[in-house]
Amino acid sequence: MKRLLSLLSLWAACTAALADPPGPRNDWYELPLDELVRVQIPPQADVGSRDGAHSALDATVPIDVYTAEQLLSVGQNGLAQALAALVPGFNYPRPSIADGTDHAPPFTLRSLNPDQVLVLVNGKRLHQSALLHTNGTIGRGSSGADLNTIPLLAVERVEVLRDGAAAQYGSDAIAGIINIVLKGYGHASQAQAGWGRTTAGDGLQRQVSLFHTTPLAGDGFINLTAELRGQGSTNRAGPDALDGGRINTHFGDADTQDLLLAWNAEVPRGDTSLYAHGHFNRRNSSAGAFFRRADDERNLPQIYPQGFLPRIEPRITDLSATLGAKGTWDSGTRWNVAYTGGFNDFHFYVANSLNRSLGADSPTAFDSGATSLAQHTLSADLSRDFGPHTLSGGYEYRVENYRIRQGEPASYQLGPGSAWYPGAQGFGGFAPENEVNAWRRSHALYLDLKYALAPRWVLNAATRAEHYSDFGSTLNGKLALGFRPVAHWLLRTSVSSGFRAPSLAQSHFTSTAMVRDGDTILQYGNYGVDHPVARALGATDLKPESSRHFTLGAVWQPTQRLTASVDGFLTDIRDRIMATGYIAGWNLAQLSPQAQAILQQHQVDGATYFTNAVGTRTRGVDLRLDYKQELPQGRRWHLSAAFQRAATRITSVNRAPSVLGVDMTDLILDPYTRVTMESGQPSTALKLWTQYSTPGYDLAFNLNRFGSYASTYGSTPVTFGARWTLDVQFAYHWDKNTTLTVGGTNVLNARPAQWGATDDDLTGSGKPIPYSQYAPFGYNGAAYYLRLGVRF
Amino acid sequence: MRRGLIAAGLWLCSVMWHAPLAHASDAELLQLKAVYLGRFASYVQWPQQERTVFDIAVIGAHPLGEQLAGFYADKRIQGKPVRVRAAANVQDIGTPDVLFVALPTVAARQAAIAHAQDHGILTISDSKGFAELGGIIQITFVEQNVQIKINYDAAVKTGLHIGAPLLSIATVLRGSQP
Repeated sequence: MKRLLSLLSLWAACTAALADPPGPRNDWYELPLDELVRVQIPPQADVGSRDGAHSALDATVPIDVYTAEQLLSVGQNGLAQALAALVPGFNYPRPSIADGTDHAPPFTLRSLNPDQVLVLVNGKRLHQSALLHTNGTIGRGSSGADLNTIPLLAVERVEVLRDGAAAQYGSDAIAGIINIVLKGYGHASQAQAGWGRTTAGDGLQRQVSLFHTTPLAGDGFINLTAELRGQGSTNRAGPDALDGGRINTHFGDADTQDLLLAWNAEVPRGDTSLYAHGHFNRRNSSAGAFFRRADDERNLPQIYPQGFLPRIEPRITDLSATLGAKGTWDSGTRWNVAYTGGFNDFHFYVANSLNRSLGADSPTAFDSGATSLAQHTLSADLSRDFGPHTLSGGYEYRVENYRIRQGEPASYQLGPGSAWYPGAQGFGGFAPENEVNAWRRSHALYLDLKYALAPRWVLNAATRAEHYSDFGSTLNGKLALGFRPVAHWLLRTSVSSGFRAPSLAQSHFTSTAMVRDGDTILQYGNYGVDHPVARALGATDLKPESSRHFTLGAVWQPTQRLTASVDGFLTDIRDRIMATGYIAGWNLAQLSPQAQAILQQHQVDGATYFTNAVGTRTRGVDLRLDYKQELPQGRRWHLSAAFQRAATRITSVNRAPSVLGVDMTDLILDPYTRVTMESGQPSTALKLWTQYSTPGYDLAFNLNRFGSYASTYGSTPVTFGARWTLDVQFAYHWDKNTTLTVGGTNVLNARPAQWGATDDDLTGSGKPIPYSQYAPFGYNGAAYYLRLGVRF
Repeated sequence: MRRGLIAAGLWLCSVMWHAPLAHASDAELLQLKAVYLGRFASYVQWPQQERTVFDIAVIGAHPLGEQLAGFYADKRIQGKPVRVRAAANVQDIGTPDVLFVALPTVAARQAAIAHAQDHGILTISDSKGFAELGGIIQITFVEQNVQIKINYDAAVKTGLHIGAPLLSIATVLRGSQP
């Protein structure tokens, strides 16, 4: 006991000694003036707390900040690709032959779903895409925000909050939050032109962008960014042995052309500032569906004697606009009112196709209809400091509208020429009975307190109550505690609850097709949960997914140059929303006679719908290390290393509707779905980014290790091994304003592991589809690029 | 023994609870601003140098005051020991050499600037639009880098001369351009 007492006293004494106020920064004070003004402050973040910009390193919850310099140093034109190269746990596979998903691939954080991440732009909620991912890709059954609608040149930094925060920001903030901060005051105008391609000779990249800033009185500004971006298709399909060994399939990146505009403006008038920001994106894209060989019964040789590759060519329109005012009253209270409107329209067109059932008169190009999502948000926030404490609160009203519009008749019709193949091959159109116009409203009240319990202790407490017109109310809370026991250590922990509102797409998505069974026309497909067919088969209104979060971590900052952190996390989610398997007598052996009678009564061959299905636990650990050193003669070295390990396990399975007579496991959790949810994403990610900067040039390296992942071949799990990739960039500063950049992405030409030997005609090594859709860094291999940038 | 253990625990808790927040990244930002204040002041000439103490006042609620006091306790600015004090309102400002303005509203900042101009005080702030408002030095951070804005006309009007080295690293406002 004496020993314990002695040790305790010794530790306390050491603690007190270490806790002495830091020595004055004489090293800064002695610097020449021109070097002093080159000293960089720690990265600032707005997300995580409503007390304004704060140091990300002091936050009670883990936050990473990625600067524009980092985002531009990895050689990617799109924001999603750049974040995938830098952020551990940010998974961004490039699926192919996956309908609309090819053209707006989803991303995930921490092995969860795309809709379990909240994306903010300048702190305002960004709407999701209208596209519901329905194919066999990561993110199946969900919709996510499309980050590539925002031009990279408009971005000042990206903040990634690695914690659940639905109690502060509302629905979706389960895996974390990505806050994209647009360039504000004080940036230089610049223009950039880039060109690149893969070493295989395809994937031509062309990009021109312009960022122009106009300073206004009172440090106001009007910033405009415009970009034209072209991404040529890549193709890594193998030969088709059944088609003479020719490569007839497209398996690779879509061919996309993007027009991007972004704006960010702030006009101060006394203590009030009017502000506006937003973006517009128009994307025309084209990618292949599965190839139909000449002798395929879906083909008409009189139209395509050699077979045909249908091309899905959506036109995607995305718009987001925020208009607001903020200011400070004499009392010091800060106020902020804003409107944010978001709109995404995903219009499907199909080319080089046919409607087999219409015979030789079939058109070869189709308008297959569209899905759209509109979101309108009004918010009012108040915030006030009370000494070292900050109290914030606010109200948010949101209206959402989800629509499905029918395609042209030939895109969905079942004509007399075939009993089985209605509509446009490649992507059958939405039929009139699929049209949806669904609305939802929600109100939210929230309160956020940052309380300095003592000089060494900070408490963040937040609560948020919401009412949704479709599923009712939620109440969530969060407590986060930061404790600095000694000078260079911060210990932090948080516990919170959260939720994700079911998307309108999950509730209402309806897409059906027809087959002829004798004289009877049977329908099949996915039905909204309020559709009579789905209701009869046991569908109910979707409940929100609910979550519980716990994080515990530490930050070590022995010097201004070096920071290291470790954070463990645990996320439990209940009632995760998933699509059922195909409910049909021939597919589910145990399907009840009652359910089969219902299908027969509605003249439906089979159906799927969304339901609250399972509970999961995700746990893992994040490690970060950041080292930055200012060197003589204006040189700087920056090293950033990051590692994440995250694993998701299914912990509970809800009951299936009794009318079906099957277990939920049989209904939903087939081996493919289970493997996708638990192992489909890399369980580990390692990122090592470094940049050496001089007044004359910058040299950057970005090393990535993508951990192993799994998929299924039939019902057999297949594991794909980990891979390393390396990006290199050299930027030569011709003069103060002109920079010429050359670089390569994945210069080691790493390719994901292939499927291996299979008995399938289509999927397997050396076959048309050699790689898994889940490959976390695509299949393109090495690419190189050239970029010219001019500041003015 | 148990009593001793409890006492040690209580003492430890007390130490941990009340000890100052020794090191934090937010504190680093404050330290840097504190360094700027003294270094910038060393490039400024006041018309009269009769005082034996270099006087810095902070008006408004800002943690910089505490930082300045600690940092300059053993330092000299323009060869003089440094005194740091807080001012709750314009009447409390007096006639320091440097006034750091941390007031929440434009009107309040304008009043402080007017007082400073009348009394030959160098005004510094990190508030947006401060230099255009008539303040002399504005400190802004963009992408982790400092941007210094100096209202040269305001300095002249206040009777201060700002040295070329400081002007060379700043955006200098002449007239009323943003």
